[in-house]
Amino acid sequence: MRTKTKYKLISLASVFVFLAFWEIITDVLQLLPSYVLPSPVKVLNCFITKLTTSSPDGSTLPVHILSSLKVSMASFLTAAVVGIPLGIAMAWYSSVDKLVKPIFDLLRPIPPIGWIPIMILVLGIGFWAKVAVIFVGALIPCVINSYTGIKQVNPVHMWVGQTFGGTRTQMLFMVAIPTALPVIFTGLKTALGISWMTLVAAELLASNNGLGYMIQVARTIGRADIIVMGMLVIGVVGLILSTILDFLENRYVKGRRP
Amino acid sequence: MENTRKLENDCVVRCDHIGKIFGEFETSHEVVKDINLNIKENEFVVIFGPGQCGKTTLLNLMAGLEQTTSGEVNVNGKPVTAPGPERGMVYQTTALFPWLTVMGNVEFGLKMAGVKKSKRRERAQYYIDLVGLKGFEKSYPVKLSGGMCQRVGIARAYCNDPSVILMDEPFGHLDAQTRYLMEEEIERICSTEKRTVVFVTNNIEEAIYLADRIILLTNCPATVKKEYVVDLPRPRSYVSPEFLELRELITSEMDEMDL
Amino acid sequence: MSKQQVRDKVSTILFAMLSVCLLLLVWQLAVSGTTLGKMFPKPIPVFQKFVESLTVPIGQYTLVQHAVFSLYRVFVGFVSGAVVGVILGIAMGRIPVIDAIVKPIFNLIRPIPGVAWIPMAILWFGIGETTKYFIIFMGGFANVLLNTYAGARDVDKQLIGAAQMLGANRRQIFVHIVLPASVPYIFAGLQVSLSTSWMAVLAAEMVCAQEGVGYLITGGMNSGNTTQILVGMLAIGLIGLILATLMRYAEKRLCSWKIRGN
Repeated sequence: MRTKTKYKLISLASVFVFLAFWEIITDVLQLLPSYVLPSPVKVLNCFITKLTTSSPDGSTLPVHILSSLKVSMASFLTAAVVGIPLGIAMAWYSSVDKLVKPIFDLLRPIPPIGWIPIMILVLGIGFWAKVAVIFVGALIPCVINSYTGIKQVNPVHMWVGQTFGGTRTQMLFMVAIPTALPVIFTGLKTALGISWMTLVAAELLASNNGLGYMIQVARTIGRADIIVMGMLVIGVVGLILSTILDFLENRYVKGRRP
Repeated sequence: MENTRKLENDCVVRCDHIGKIFGEFETSHEVVKDINLNIKENEFVVIFGPGQCGKTTLLNLMAGLEQTTSGEVNVNGKPVTAPGPERGMVYQTTALFPWLTVMGNVEFGLKMAGVKKSKRRERAQYYIDLVGLKGFEKSYPVKLSGGMCQRVGIARAYCNDPSVILMDEPFGHLDAQTRYLMEEEIERICSTEKRTVVFVTNNIEEAIYLADRIILLTNCPATVKKEYVVDLPRPRSYVSPEFLELRELITSEMDEMDL
Repeated sequence: MSKQQVRDKVSTILFAMLSVCLLLLVWQLAVSGTTLGKMFPKPIPVFQKFVESLTVPIGQYTLVQHAVFSLYRVFVGFVSGAVVGVILGIAMGRIPVIDAIVKPIFNLIRPIPGVAWIPMAILWFGIGETTKYFIIFMGGFANVLLNTYAGARDVDKQLIGAAQMLGANRRQIFVHIVLPASVPYIFAGLQVSLSTSWMAVLAAEMVCAQEGVGYLITGGMNSGNTTQILVGMLAIGLIGLILATLMRYAEKRLCSWKIRGN
C-alpha cells in the first residue's frame, strides 16, 4: 500500500520534471527556438486560441476535429458493417471461404496508406477518397478477426447444440457468434486504430481540412506550436475513441476469463 | 541435556517456534503457529494435514520463499532468509522452465554455479537416467506427460545436491494410477540416493508409504498435532496389516480434529 | 491423404483460381469501354510493366532498387525501434522505479500514430534520411515496448522462485528466466511493429522522397500514371507478404518450445 503511493508520487514527479525540463530548455534558457520546439505554455496557448481562430488553415480546431471524426467514423462503421458479416460468412460457408479468401490474401499485405494515390486518382481529393482508403484499411482486421473467431468455436459446444436439436442457423447465432465476440471486438479495436492513423496520413497527403491537414499546413509555415498541439489532439482523440470501444466491450462481452 | 544438544547439532533443518501471519491488523490471518521441528540427515519426513491447513506455507518458510513473522528456520545451522541452492524444491505445478529441454532443466542449477559443461552434462545425465527419462534429454516440457514432468522436477532438485529436498504435494495433479507409480519411483530413488526430504501431502497412503516420520498438522493455523515414527520395512505394502493399522490410527486422529 | 482430403484440396485450388480469374475479368470489363478505362489500365499491361520495371528504371531507379531503398529504411528504423523498445520494456517491467518514471511520459506519446510525427520530423531533421528513420522508429517502437513490458512483468513468479532455489543470482535470473520468458511476447510485438514500420516507410516516402516504393505510387499519382501506381502497389504487397512470412518463420524457430505435438 505504502509502496504504491510512493510510485504514484514518483510518476507525478516524473511528469512534472518532464514538463519543467521542456519549459526550461525552451522559454527560460532559449536553447531551442520555438520553430523547432515550442514550450508547453506556448502549446497550451495555441490550443486555446485555435479553439476559436481559423487562421492559418481556414478552420477552427473543433471544425477540424469534427471533420476528421466524420470521415473516420463513417469508414470505420461501414467497414464493420461489411467486414464482420463477410468474415462470419467466410468461416461458416466453405464455398464463400474458398471464393473470397484468395482475393483477400492477395489484397491483405498492401497497407491502407498504399491505397491513397489510386483512390485519389479515381475518386478525386475529398471526402470519398478518404473514406474509401480508410474503409479498405479497417475492413481487413474486421474480416480476419470475425473469421478466426468463428473458426475457433469449440466443437464440443457445437455437439452440445446439435444434441439439443439446434439447426445450423440457430447454432450460428446461439453458439458460434457469441464465442467469436471477444475476438471480433479485438478486431474492431485494431480497425479503429488503423482508421485513425490512416486518416491522419490521408489528410497529410491530400486534403483541405481535418487534423492531419492542419499540422501539414502548420509545417509549411513553420508553426511548430500548432504541430505539437495537433499531435496531442490526434493522440487524445484516438485515446477517447479506443476507450469508448473498451467500455462497449466490457458491457457486451460477458463471461470472459479475466 | 547433553544428548538433546547432540541431536540438535545433527539436524539438517531446525524450525524454532516459527509462525506466519499474513496481512496486518484487522485483515490479518494466522496460517502457521509456533511450530518446532527438527529433521535429521537422510530422514524422510512427511508433513501431513487437512487441505488448506498451511502445509505449503510451512514448506515455503523452510524454502525461504516466504519470511517467518516469528521464530527462525535453520538449515545446516544457518538461518534461512532467502531461497538458496542448499535447499531443493519440487513443485506441485512442476515449475519446469518451458524454454529449456529436459537436459537444460536438470543441469540448470549446476550451470548457475558455473560447473563446466562436460562435467554438468555427465552429472545431469546420471540423474535423468535415475528417474527413468533416458532418451528424453532433448524433449521440451510441453511434450511430456504430467508424471514425466514431475520426474524432471525431481531430477532437477537432486542434481543440485542440496542438503534438503522440499517436495510440495508433487503428485497432487497426477491421476491415481500414475500417483502409485511415482510413489514407488520415489521409494526407489530414495533408496539408491539417500537424501533428507521434507514431503508435503494430504494423501494418507502416500504419507505412510514414504515416511520415516509423519508430522500431523492441525487445521489452520497449523500447529503440530502429533508425530508418528513409521518403522515398517521398505518397500512397504499398501495392504499389510501394520500399514492398515497405522492408517486407521491416523484417520481416527484426523476425524477427532474435525469435531 | 484420404480421398476426401484430396478432393478438398483440389476444390480449394480450383475455387482460388476461379476467384482470381473473376477478379481479373471484372477488372478487364470495368475498364474496357467505360470512362474509368481512360485513366485505369487493363490487368495485362500492369503485369507487363511490373516485369519490365525490374530492369528498366522508373524515375532514376529500377523497381528492385526502389524496393532496396525502402527496405533499408525499414531495417534501420525497425531495428533501432526494436532495440529501444525491448530494453525499455524489460527495464519498465522489472524495475518499478523506472516504470513509475517512464510510463506516464510514454502514455502521453503512445496514442500519437507514427504518421502524425511526419510534419514535426521534417521540421526537425529536414527531408533527408534521418526523418524517415525517425518516423519508422516512432511507428514501430511503441508496440515492441508494450509487448515486452507485458512479457517481462508477467513472468511466472514460481519460475523465478525455482531458479532462486537452484542457486541463480539476480543477474542469472534476468538472463536465464526473464529474457527467455519474454521472448514470445517480444515476438508478438515485433510482428505488429514490422507491419506498422512498413506502413510508416510508405507514408514517409510518399511525403518526402525521390526514391523507394512509396515514391513510386505518389510519383504515379502526381503524373497521373495509374500503371505506375498499380505496379508500385503490387511491389508493396509482395514485399509486405515476404516480410510477414520471414517473421513468422523466425518466431517458429525461436519459440519452438511452446509448440505441442511434433
